[in-house]
Amino acid sequence: MRNREIPKGLRDLLPDEVKIKRNIEKQAVSLFAKYGYEEVITPTFEYLEVVESGAGSNIREELFLFMDREGGILSLRPEMTVSIARLAATHLQDEPLPQRLYYMGNVFRHVQPQKARYREFWQLGIELLGAQGPVADAEVITIAVKTLDAIGLQDFKISLNHIGIFNSILEESNLHHEDKVRMRQLVESKDLVELSRVLESLAIDDPMKETIASLPVLHGDLAIIKKLPYLEKSPKASEAVTELLRIYEALNTFGVIDHIVMDMGVLRGLDYYTGIVFEGYSPDLGYGLLGGGRYDNLMGQFGFSCPATGFAMGLERAALVLKNKEAEAKRYLVGGTSLEAIINKCDELRAAGCIVEMDTRFSSREELEKLRDKKQNTVLIYIE
Amino acid sequence: MQGNYLTIALSKGTLLEPTIELLQGTGLPTRGLVPESRNMVFSYEPEQIKYIMCRPTDVPTYVEQGAADLGIVGKDVVVEQRKDIFELVDLKFGYCRFVVAGPAHFQDIALKDLNYKRIATKFPAVAEQFFRSKGLQVEIITLHGNIELAPIMGLSDLIVDIVSTGRTLKENNLVEIIKIMDSTTRLICNRVSYRTKYDVIQPLVEKMQQNEKGGGM
Repeated sequence: MRNREIPKGLRDLLPDEVKIKRNIEKQAVSLFAKYGYEEVITPTFEYLEVVESGAGSNIREELFLFMDREGGILSLRPEMTVSIARLAATHLQDEPLPQRLYYMGNVFRHVQPQKARYREFWQLGIELLGAQGPVADAEVITIAVKTLDAIGLQDFKISLNHIGIFNSILEESNLHHEDKVRMRQLVESKDLVELSRVLESLAIDDPMKETIASLPVLHGDLAIIKKLPYLEKSPKASEAVTELLRIYEALNTFGVIDHIVMDMGVLRGLDYYTGIVFEGYSPDLGYGLLGGGRYDNLMGQFGFSCPATGFAMGLERAALVLKNKEAEAKRYLVGGTSLEAIINKCDELRAAGCIVEMDTRFSSREELEKLRDKKQNTVLIYIE
Repeated sequence: MQGNYLTIALSKGTLLEPTIELLQGTGLPTRGLVPESRNMVFSYEPEQIKYIMCRPTDVPTYVEQGAADLGIVGKDVVVEQRKDIFELVDLKFGYCRFVVAGPAHFQDIALKDLNYKRIATKFPAVAEQFFRSKGLQVEIITLHGNIELAPIMGLSDLIVDIVSTGRTLKENNLVEIIKIMDSTTRLICNRVSYRTKYDVIQPLVEKMQQNEKGGGM
């Protein structure tokens, strides 16, 4: 008998959990709207080609795939950015740029379920399309900071990096593709042991080795940039550093610099990032809360070449950190002997903005008192 | 991640003694921390350090989920569990190696002849990954201890296990056939702790790296 089970990694949300979730959504959405972002909704599943041309084929093993009746392979969306890029490329080519879009939706990944990792989870986020330059990135990061702030998180940090630093070092290294992929994975997972072993075996010059070895552990303020000996030799990498510095300055002007740290080890898993990348953390949760960055080539995959930057936040993870939900409004429980009197009282309270539950069974005062005592934060009004 | 404490998950068992030496060498508190103790948590308020005593196989789980910021555990456990954690320092002690072993008549077997053999192991992920990377299909039988018994009793043809001196293999008339990989003890770290407690963790990492280079351990 499976009629009481649900598939692995999924869950039901009960009223208290939904309240926290909706509250996060409400705060975030009202913030996004104030910055001029507008909501779009995309389909829950897409063609596999769409997902893979955006997020890369590495993501394949995490996808929930199925067939449609015409033989097409469909994928439940594993994230939202690729869908938004497809949407913009097909519908917004003629609209004036920049476009500011936000979304909120459930996404699906076939991962090993555990705390803070489910197979269906909720993401909300923004995409700023058609805007180049450090100020656009800084706006997105600022909104990320303000979102975490608005939902009531404290002590959180956003780690900032520019993927161009690592990518240009790799490009100039003349390494085989496989070695590059391996290196990237080791830096990202901070496997310092294996990284130093692999570096020793590779035929690249010392400043480059030293630089790659130090990337995963460089974390802090602007001063860490000076610890990258290879940079002076690489115009491309220095260009990326300059851009990173400009964004850092802009974040200072936006007034959110207290939450920002530089972290040369942040590379983000998805293939589509081209510029700044960032991740948000809270000391109260062992998992990242949000992530994002610049992805100037993604829209081109869908025939609309256009710079873009954005972030996505995981709702469940944010909810885990938010132990104190909003102080709940009082609820009224109205009962009595006359239906007309009960309805009148209920309507009067509702008109005043109260939350009112009506007793539909003409229960006695004693029964209602018992019921009230089982509920939280509830006031009983009994009309004799 | 308990407040401002730095929580370190330690592996009980053979690794504990060299681990305590390592902690001492790194300048971390070890008052009252002895292998015989039955306490599961050791807190040092002045230093804001907490140790938790774990089964080695549980250490990566504590670290991945953030119940501990750091962990000290063998690479053998790390590679089998494939948790999403950072691996920061090779501490060099606790050496062992993963091997394919079996009765003596398998000694000179060609790799291709391992196809479709039955392999008993405590490390199904490592075993599976190894044989798959060689393009071989094998049947993995997961056991929880006394792996050497499996070929003796005809439960499996071969075993994949960790050995350090090779004595246990010899005692059971088994021989090492292929070395899969070496393993030593590692310092592992939670992904978020590394960033939120960077100022405490990174100096520790550097100290441990130096100790290890100086051959101090």
